[in-house]
Amino acid sequence: MDDLFAPPGPGWQRVSPALARLRRILLAVGLGFLAVVVVVLWVLFEPPPWVPALSLAALLALGVWSWILIGRNARRWGYVERDEELFITRGALFRRLVVVPYGRMQYVDVQAGPIDRAFGLARVQLHTAAPGTTAHIPGLPADEAARLRDRLTALGEAQAAGL
Amino acid sequence: MTGPEQPPVAERTSHRLSPLTPLVRGAVFVVAVAATTWDDLFTGRLGTFALILLGVLFAGAVYGYLSWLRTKYWIDRTELRIDTGVVYHQSRRIRIDRLQGIDIVQPFVARLFGLAELKMDVAGGDREGSLAFLPLTEAHRVREVLLARRDAARGTEPDTDGLGADEVPAWAPPDRDIAALDLPTLLLSMLLSAETVWLLIGSVALGVALLLNGVVVVAPALPFVGGLALISVRKLSAYYGFTVSQTNVGVQVRRGLFERATQTIALARVQGVVISEPILWRRMGWAKLDVSVAGAGGTSESDGRPSTTTVMPVAPLSLVHELAEHLLRGDDDGVEVRLASVVLSAPPRSARWVDPVSRRFMGAGIGDELVATREGWLNRRTHAARHARVQSVRLSQGPLQRRLGLADVHVDSPPGPVRVRARHRSAADARAFFEEEQGRARRARAAAR
Repeated sequence: MDDLFAPPGPGWQRVSPALARLRRILLAVGLGFLAVVVVVLWVLFEPPPWVPALSLAALLALGVWSWILIGRNARRWGYVERDEELFITRGALFRRLVVVPYGRMQYVDVQAGPIDRAFGLARVQLHTAAPGTTAHIPGLPADEAARLRDRLTALGEAQAAGL
Repeated sequence: MTGPEQPPVAERTSHRLSPLTPLVRGAVFVVAVAATTWDDLFTGRLGTFALILLGVLFAGAVYGYLSWLRTKYWIDRTELRIDTGVVYHQSRRIRIDRLQGIDIVQPFVARLFGLAELKMDVAGGDREGSLAFLPLTEAHRVREVLLARRDAARGTEPDTDGLGADEVPAWAPPDRDIAALDLPTLLLSMLLSAETVWLLIGSVALGVALLLNGVVVVAPALPFVGGLALISVRKLSAYYGFTVSQTNVGVQVRRGLFERATQTIALARVQGVVISEPILWRRMGWAKLDVSVAGAGGTSESDGRPSTTTVMPVAPLSLVHELAEHLLRGDDDGVEVRLASVVLSAPPRSARWVDPVSRRFMGAGIGDELVATREGWLNRRTHAARHARVQSVRLSQGPLQRRLGLADVHVDSPPGPVRVRARHRSAADARAFFEEEQGRARRARAAAR
């Protein structure tokens, strides 16, 4: 369907759908808080009713748009492990594809914040000697993240290329 | 001569800086005191002011001598230790394997005495180490020792592991000069620079203002003119006598009028080059060459302070190409690196919707050994890197680009001025470029293993 970001093989390994759930919950919490603020200000200052109504409508529109975008974005994250390099793709609006040779990796990070952990997710980040390399994969199930880290580290050592 | 069976005895003996150090450091004060008390000294009557100054000078001399006495350095296998401080003792330890680069700098006064300062860049921190001053040959020797131990500590050159100081190849004078910048070219190139244009625009604007309003408007413009003049003077003194030469450890750059700086680029660590051709130089066929060196980072040119990445500030394009190819070839002697062999192609016409002007000056191409891209009208820059040095390859596409069927390809290099990127290629072209580059990078890595 999309030749430009086609996978370099049979297909992309997608990230966990829990990533979209997590982000949508964060979105709902954030927007809900803003809505509460609008309502409180409404009650306290009694502005003309169209002001808070418009604000709430804008919040709702933003919420719907972000909700859809989060879903599309989470579905588009993907990675493929090849013999010598890792391919990562991401982005719905701004699309990216990066190829990182195992031999160029300097280290691999696994991060999992408290919210990530509640959803059993973790994020793997790859670092090369180039600051431009923006290679990370969010929303991996914790055991998959650990497996990927171990495999990447092992392959990185085996294929290490000097600068 | 110590054999390999003997354990690498760490050089535990302490060294001192040159005993002339306090004199060089205090030279400014000596001159100042001499200048202010000239009359008094000459006529033989010493006023209170002169006496106080002489007293201060004497105290300074004593302090300088004590400071010299206190300053010692040690080099062992993993560490450079520098002890300083008369009142508060300080001991700085620099891990040799963290050394990024060591530059030799000769401020004007130090040069008169044949002394030099060693400046050490340390990875992961802005704390720098410095040894000032050492005799020039000694400075070169210490530099070679430190660099050899660093490579040994990093394991990049296992042969040098455990080398004692005496076994490190002694610093040799440059084998041969590759290129030198002559004064007329430097002056003319400075005349044909952005500063001159600004100066002209400023002068015209001032002239008009003068005619309309009188003298009042001129005064505030003076700092502006002064600043531009200062930039030019700095540039001149920094790039004066710019010489590129080949030594046994890499390409060496020497430059400076009052302050001589020496910088050595290890060929194996070269990541890529940038060739800049400002519009005013193109008629002359001149270009500037910058280089990315792994672990060096480097500063960009600002306010006329020279960039540490510049290998040639101005030279005929053919010479710049030759130099660039020499640097890109690195220590792979057999490899044929030809910049001219890379054929650059332009982005499609549809790119005019995202970048109407600059898309005309863009180009990108892949050759046997190199990937190169070009951008810029006022300053045309050609970025080139060896496939064997490529870190990662990226493909990116924004919403507008998607509508137009365009995409960018980035070829990532370690920090430095080099930024190889092919912007606004057609989608099919971009994917082909991406595939081709990552495939070639893979084969180049395999060949290097």
